[in-house]
Amino acid sequence: MRKTAIILFSLLIFSSLSIFAKDFPVPTGYVNDFAGVIDENSRLQMEGIINAVEQRTGAEIAVVIVESIAPYASIEEYAIGLSAEWGIGKEGQDNGTLLLLAMKERSIRLEVGYGLEGAIPDGLAGQIIDQSVLPSLQAGDYGGGLLKGVQAVAGIVAKEYDVDLGSYDVGESRRYTRTGVPGLGFIIFFIIAFLFGGGRFIFPLLFLGGMTRGGFFGGGFGSGGSSFGGGGFGGFGGGGFGGGGASRGF
Amino acid sequence: MAKRGLLSILVVIGIVVVFGVIIGGWYVGTRNTLVTLEETIDGSWAEIDNQLQRRADLIPNLVNTVKGYAKQEREVFIQIAEARSKLAGARTVGEKAQGYNSLETALSRLLVIVERYPELKSNVNFIRLQDELAGTENRITIARKRYNDSVRTFNTKIRRFPSSIVARNMGLEKKEYFQIEERSREVPKVDFES
Repeated sequence: MRKTAIILFSLLIFSSLSIFAKDFPVPTGYVNDFAGVIDENSRLQMEGIINAVEQRTGAEIAVVIVESIAPYASIEEYAIGLSAEWGIGKEGQDNGTLLLLAMKERSIRLEVGYGLEGAIPDGLAGQIIDQSVLPSLQAGDYGGGLLKGVQAVAGIVAKEYDVDLGSYDVGESRRYTRTGVPGLGFIIFFIIAFLFGGGRFIFPLLFLGGMTRGGFFGGGFGSGGSSFGGGGFGGFGGGGFGGGGASRGF
Repeated sequence: MAKRGLLSILVVIGIVVVFGVIIGGWYVGTRNTLVTLEETIDGSWAEIDNQLQRRADLIPNLVNTVKGYAKQEREVFIQIAEARSKLAGARTVGEKAQGYNSLETALSRLLVIVERYPELKSNVNFIRLQDELAGTENRITIARKRYNDSVRTFNTKIRRFPSSIVARNMGLEKKEYFQIEERSREVPKVDFES
């Protein structure tokens, strides 16, 4: 009787384990090269920029390279599944983006979280891939292409949050300046902040702005590995995705 | 003698009360679950409806861009206009699914035609519109899965005994699934050399 119970119990455990068997890999950091195709220099640069963006805006940019998206049929399905599983972006703000490169399928996708869909609409996502990422990918420079993509996204995100990334190179994002009165978004942001928070909200914002412009944070993050403290990756913030973004083949 | 009678009456009342509380608790719990499921379904449907609308709004832009290069392909433009008005008149979940399917068919024909005009294919506006359209399709796919999953859970629950009792008291009916034909689009390749 006892033996049966133990067997049944173990079966239950094993079957529930298989329910939790994940199709997706576990993240090791913001940049996850599961195919081993990007060069060290690009990886370090990407990590530096992504860390800076996360520290200053809270937005999370994830870069993932996989050998293949199998068993998923399309890169869109894989991307939304992975983004949801990892929870890229901060919960509530949903400010996550994912640059996903599938080697076997020769596809790339920029997945944009709910919160950033205004800053990076689908058309712009396609443009970023076409102009910044694709040329390098087609030339075989995967690290370089993804780096340019990160630079473009980081610059746009920084602009959205009106934050200065100091010495980090996001020149690539200048291709995508939004049309309209420059600084208008800044003004509108301030008006809204004032209405909602009153003076006490404005003051620290100005203070923060002054600090970043003065290069207080510049270079402080270092160009080396992750600055998550303790050397381990802390994980993503639990952001949500709705399917925004664009894909390309190369 | 009378005391024993009183005690047994109290015990019976006690059991009935406890029983009543358990049943009542279950009833309220089930009711709340059904309400929550309905809300989830409504939320997912709202997302689908939004994206269908967005799609409907994007398509005239796409058609105009194509017309700029391929004015003579009148038949497909008429098909698209017809499909669009059919979708605009759709009210129920089933009608909207049908409208979506016929619009998809007309759009596929348009994209086949576009293949013959390489200048159009590399037109920046056209590429952007294609991305936006693909975005709505992707969002519809995701919202559809969420919607259908919650409909399945809901329909199962209201049919199963004993939650069917609660459902009947609430006047709940089965909800429709959103059935559209999955069209797997090839990941667009942009060729800058042409």
